[in-house]
Amino acid sequence: MEFFKQATPEERKIYYREEWDVNQVPNFILGQLENREFGFDHFGRGPNDRYKTFNSPEYLKRFMRSKTPFAAYCSVAFYEKPRKREGWMHAELVFDVDAKDIPIRTCNCDNVCEICLNEAKEIVGNIIDTLKSDLGLKNIHLSYSGRGYHIRVLDESVMEMDSDVRSQVLKYVVGADVPNDKYENRGQIYTLRPYSIPFGYPKVFTDRIKYSILHLTKDSKIEGISKNLLNKTLENRKFIEENQWGDFLNKLDPNHPKTGARNYNKLINSIASLNMSLVDGKVSIDLKRILRLPSSLHSKVSMRCTEVKNIDTFDPFKDAVPKFVWERKD
Amino acid sequence: MSFINPLSDEGKQIVREDGGDLDRIFDENDDIIDAVNSITAQEISDDAYIPKSYVDLVIKRVEWYVDKKSDPKYNHKKYAFLFYPEIAKFDVIAFYILCQAIGIKYGPNSRESRAVSELQGQIIENRLEELYERDRLEIVDKIMNILIVQDRIKWTSLADLLSSKKINLQDLVLKDGNVILDREDFMEYFKDVVKLQQPERMYNVFIGNRIKELIMIKMIMQNTENYIKNVHEIAGREVEPNATLLKIAEEVADALSKEIRYYGGGDSGGEVKASPLNIEKFPPCIRKSLDGIKSGGRNEVIVLFLTPFLSYARLYPSVFSRNTTLKVSDVDADLKITQNEILPMIYDAADRCSPPLFDDQPQEKININAKLGFGMNDNLNLQHEGETTWYTPMSCEKVKLNMPNLCRPDKTCKGITNPLSYYNRKMREK
Ligand code: SF4
Ligand SMILES: [Zn+2]
Repeated sequence: MEFFKQATPEERKIYYREEWDVNQVPNFILGQLENREFGFDHFGRGPNDRYKTFNSPEYLKRFMRSKTPFAAYCSVAFYEKPRKREGWMHAELVFDVDAKDIPIRTCNCDNVCEICLNEAKEIVGNIIDTLKSDLGLKNIHLSYSGRGYHIRVLDESVMEMDSDVRSQVLKYVVGADVPNDKYENRGQIYTLRPYSIPFGYPKVFTDRIKYSILHLTKDSKIEGISKNLLNKTLENRKFIEENQWGDFLNKLDPNHPKTGARNYNKLINSIASLNMSLVDGKVSIDLKRILRLPSSLHSKVSMRCTEVKNIDTFDPFKDAVPKFVWERKD
Repeated sequence: MSFINPLSDEGKQIVREDGGDLDRIFDENDDIIDAVNSITAQEISDDAYIPKSYVDLVIKRVEWYVDKKSDPKYNHKKYAFLFYPEIAKFDVIAFYILCQAIGIKYGPNSRESRAVSELQGQIIENRLEELYERDRLEIVDKIMNILIVQDRIKWTSLADLLSSKKINLQDLVLKDGNVILDREDFMEYFKDVVKLQQPERMYNVFIGNRIKELIMIKMIMQNTENYIKNVHEIAGREVEPNATLLKIAEEVADALSKEIRYYGGGDSGGEVKASPLNIEKFPPCIRKSLDGIKSGGRNEVIVLFLTPFLSYARLYPSVFSRNTTLKVSDVDADLKITQNEILPMIYDAADRCSPPLFDDQPQEKININAKLGFGMNDNLNLQHEGETTWYTPMSCEKVKLNMPNLCRPDKTCKGITNPLSYYNRKMREK
């Protein structure tokens, strides 16, 4: 039995006629179906059948059963006239974490495997945490995309926001910018490194940097970080595990007091820009994007795109593998 | 209070009572002169330092902003009157005259309008600095209480400020969606986690009045822009715009254009380095495109001609003589210059086209980013730099071929093969 193999047209038919049920499409989509644009890929060459709309789940069901598409998508945007993509009302805020594109993975697989899917899940968990606890957002949904995860935020307070604000949110939740470390108070300048500020963005940043450093391997290739610096980082990362950032800094730059922290600064800057690619930024700022429809089949890897109700117990290898894969003979 | 926030009810009241008569704002006004003279910190050695009329006051405000930004010999005492409440009443009226003039003539998306809102922000900042700590806290609290209706601010209610990049989300201390400003809130949320670092000090350094003032100033700036927009819309419905205000607007624009005067000129010889743009040294074709294109070919002029020219002229004028290629970020590491100076000029020119370029073709913004080297992306993001190359300015020959009505050569154009060389030559002449 083999995972991640492309589904044959016959298998697609079996899937949509025997296993798929329109009620597996999450409520946040079915509930306002008529305002979303749908797109389909019938031949595995990308979604070129777009501008589709469905006025009721019944129509959607009939369409899927008869066309058994290679892939199905629906818009993150709500339109007054979705058939023309006109009358944009608002759009979900989306974060797309694709396991295949995570910049630091401890596995060395070519496509995706259990290890990197798990790492994607950890990253997703961290982002959702920040969305809830710092940004106070509600109505957050998660779906497994077949090769990673989509975080879909339907909180009204962010749905109308433009790309510029979305990109700021994105940078905040992934820790893409090194925080300011100079603060002025009554004419005096204080230097505070992010790890010494246990709240706000510096805290998020510290957590993300920590995650990334702990997932480096000796084969990691990161722009701006030499082999030498990488080794030094790996040797001393036990300090980071215990949140002993000061000690970590001292090991990295033995003669630092304040100005000589060259290695530390290099490391932090490089990882900050690398964090930006934990999530596909283009998806987050696009107000008209279409995303894989939860419940539909990701034919390229023969996995089901599916809503994740409980991130802790979700296991793609149990919960997103269609029956026909188990029945494959090879 | 209207001294800090002229758009407050108190400010509006002042204008209603004293600001009605547009015919007399050019007249010498003894009350203004007396008020300024009564300020002890004010330098009065030169009569020209003293504003004599409302219009004078308007222009002085603008000159202060320009001088402070670009004159190395800036003298604060010359403008001290701007920061003392003795002139509050006159200042409020001057503020309204300024906004109305800009609103009527240039509208909300102009460089002039942005400058006015920035000017207001800086005036407020400086005025706050003149206050005693306690008064400062008090007045900021008072104004915030009016600006912000609900008890706590949600970051989502600051979307306008975030979107216009006036505030950075990362500068706010957030918890459960609220922007933490109050000492009590801070203690309640973070007391336990900051116990090692003396929570009081942490609050003072990290939040204190800093963020509160920041938000207050930015909100007033945003309101100023909104007000200008409002004036513009109302003026659009009238047949004939007020001639007095139009005249003032032109004077303001004049004063503002000095901002880009070139101050670096001292070093003799060859290379022109990255430095603020000097519009007066632009070749005729560029000046023409800055005014906007009224007929066909808007896209080409804005995207292919203006974008490369302005970005190279600002950041890497010696590209042709140096023969090495650079990326924008090699000169402008955090892209601040590109975002704050170059793009606004390009966007202004795009707005001056008819119809305004982005109205029907918003995707051209992406093409502009691509020509700067940042790929086909919505945003200038360092991550994407290098996906496309930073397009070099086109030659005069190409200009003449592709957009013949832009080229109106003057005597400097003789022997020049590229508009950028024209600029460099003029800059060297000093
Ligand atoms: S000769 Fe060149 S620089 Fe002069 S106006 Fe024509 S295109 Fe512009
Ligand atoms: Zn893997």
